[in-house]
Amino acid sequence: MSNQTIKLGAGLRQDCDTISVMKAGTLRLSKPNKYWVESSHKRYVPCVEDTVLGIVVDSKPDNFLVDIKAPTLAFLPVLAFEGGTRRNIPKFEVGTLLYVRVVKANNSMNPELSCMDDTGKAAEFGPLKDGYVFETSTGLSRMLLSSPTCPVLEALGKSLSYELAVGLNGRVWVNAASPSTVILVSNAIINSEFLSGVQQKIMVEKLMKRLQ
Amino acid sequence: MEQRWASTWRMSVNERKFIETALASDLRVDGRRPFDYRRLTIKFGREDGSAEVQLGQTHVLSYVTSQLVQPYRDRPNEGSLSIFTEFSPMADPSFEAGRPGEFAIELGRVIDRGLRESRAVDMESLCVVAGKSVWSIRVDLHIIDNGGNLVDAANIAALAALLTFRRPECTVGGENGQDVIIHDPEVMEPLPLIIHHLPIAVTFAFFSDGNIMVIDPTHKEEVVMGGRMTATINSNGDVCTVQKAGGEGIMSSVVMQCLRVASVKAADITSKIKNAVETYNTERALRKVKRHPLTAAHRVIVPDVIMKNEQVENIGHRPDKNSRQDDEMLVDTKTCTNSESSSGGRHTDPFVGGSSNWDPYPGRVGKLQDLPGPLMVIKEELRSDEMVIESTPELSTITSSSGTVGASGVKQQTNAPKSLKDAVKSKNRKKNKASTTTS
Repeated sequence: MSNQTIKLGAGLRQDCDTISVMKAGTLRLSKPNKYWVESSHKRYVPCVEDTVLGIVVDSKPDNFLVDIKAPTLAFLPVLAFEGGTRRNIPKFEVGTLLYVRVVKANNSMNPELSCMDDTGKAAEFGPLKDGYVFETSTGLSRMLLSSPTCPVLEALGKSLSYELAVGLNGRVWVNAASPSTVILVSNAIINSEFLSGVQQKIMVEKLMKRLQ
Repeated sequence: MEQRWASTWRMSVNERKFIETALASDLRVDGRRPFDYRRLTIKFGREDGSAEVQLGQTHVLSYVTSQLVQPYRDRPNEGSLSIFTEFSPMADPSFEAGRPGEFAIELGRVIDRGLRESRAVDMESLCVVAGKSVWSIRVDLHIIDNGGNLVDAANIAALAALLTFRRPECTVGGENGQDVIIHDPEVMEPLPLIIHHLPIAVTFAFFSDGNIMVIDPTHKEEVVMGGRMTATINSNGDVCTVQKAGGEGIMSSVVMQCLRVASVKAADITSKIKNAVETYNTERALRKVKRHPLTAAHRVIVPDVIMKNEQVENIGHRPDKNSRQDDEMLVDTKTCTNSESSSGGRHTDPFVGGSSNWDPYPGRVGKLQDLPGPLMVIKEELRSDEMVIESTPELSTITSSSGTVGASGVKQQTNAPKSLKDAVKSKNRKKNKASTTTS
């Protein structure tokens, strides 16, 4: 135990022999040796390998400027697409919604994004068409992505069909056949933020009853 | 430039399109129908004249203050009402600190017009001396969170704060009969403002060339909307102001429809505000009523109970003096407490605290009569004690007790040496003591 190396993540800092917490939240441990503090914010702090939803703000010759709710705008290189070359640069109008991955997140540098996975495939990344986007806290988006499917999504999925894309930066995209379904799903998700699993299920059941 | 880009809130094309298509089928993104208002909550602060209004996610704080000023030349016998807005950058990243933006000025003007030009607040009752001093009422509106429809929320906040505001009572007098004396709220009950009617602002948003109309737009709908109209209307259906902002033109028939809807909503909101104000006022009154008995209980009853316990013992010890029991009881109780206080027992503390509080300094003599009752009661008790002592000089037990009373009087003097009145009293008491001992 004494000579084991541990890795510290967000919210923890080492001062000589002691490790101190830098922010309020829950301490998480990923076995064997990763520790970090998780908390819910309305702002997003970029972190490598996070998948986020960004909105195109501007396009420059080399980069798209993308808003990912971070302190600074993120760069999306025009070549960071599957099979991207100088000749087939994609065209995004301002306001396009993109599902992207963070590849570089350093202090005092704009974060860098990519529309490819590690192997260079498109893998679901790219622009999202139609649907509706709403902003939540980072805590809720992490809850929606947690590994046993979040109760609210499961309960909604029993009776409705919808598409969902969750960015770790607190943006959630919902699409469905009819606008009323989209509105119902998005409001159910927003309301579920501070509810327990059972309460979420009850809430969804009530909504379904009202719908019928 | 880039930094500013990063801090502004922006909307994706998807959202814009979705909001428009959903509205085409009478659906709104937060699940409301086109003519549904969001949930309205009104809270009041601890002090009079402060209100906090939440309309959905929108959060507005308002605060009313007053000041005596010289009136305007053309209106020598009218007070003034002014509205100030403060848009915190915390509410919305697009708000800049310091200089008020275009929207901040518009919001202030719409509310100002609604309240002032419809003469909702009686201005002539704010006059103290015509041409010399009038009350100037200042309403500060702080936008804490922008969730859309700031005008309505700010208007409700301003009304709620004005309804609970109380200006201090003032009279004209003084040496030359011209000075304005502002009375302390503790001395004279502050007066509420006279408000004739409640002008309620109701905002409509128009989409797709004025074909679609919704009430109370959210932040997202405000970004998408083509035009906006605010109708300020009271519960009687009188139109106070109409503000049409945004480029899109609308038909006059639509305006009339808006006004009809607005008058229904205004009646609804008026009743909500009135209910909230009423509950606040009853709470305030209850707070007032409760305070006095509590302090009285603290000051009088606590030592009384102690007295009684020992009084019973004393009676048990001396059963032979039944004839003058009533007087004796009084005296005995005093002796008990006094002997305890002089011996430095724990019961001295409340009494000493009380005396240092209520002992009027020469400068504050004017306030003496307005002090709560219990203090006067204590004093009278003391006096009656002295009376008793004087009337029964022949009893030896009582002379001894009067000795302790005198001792306690000295003790009191040392407790509060600054007080002039006490000094005088203790002298009297010394005299009494001397007289009783000699006789």
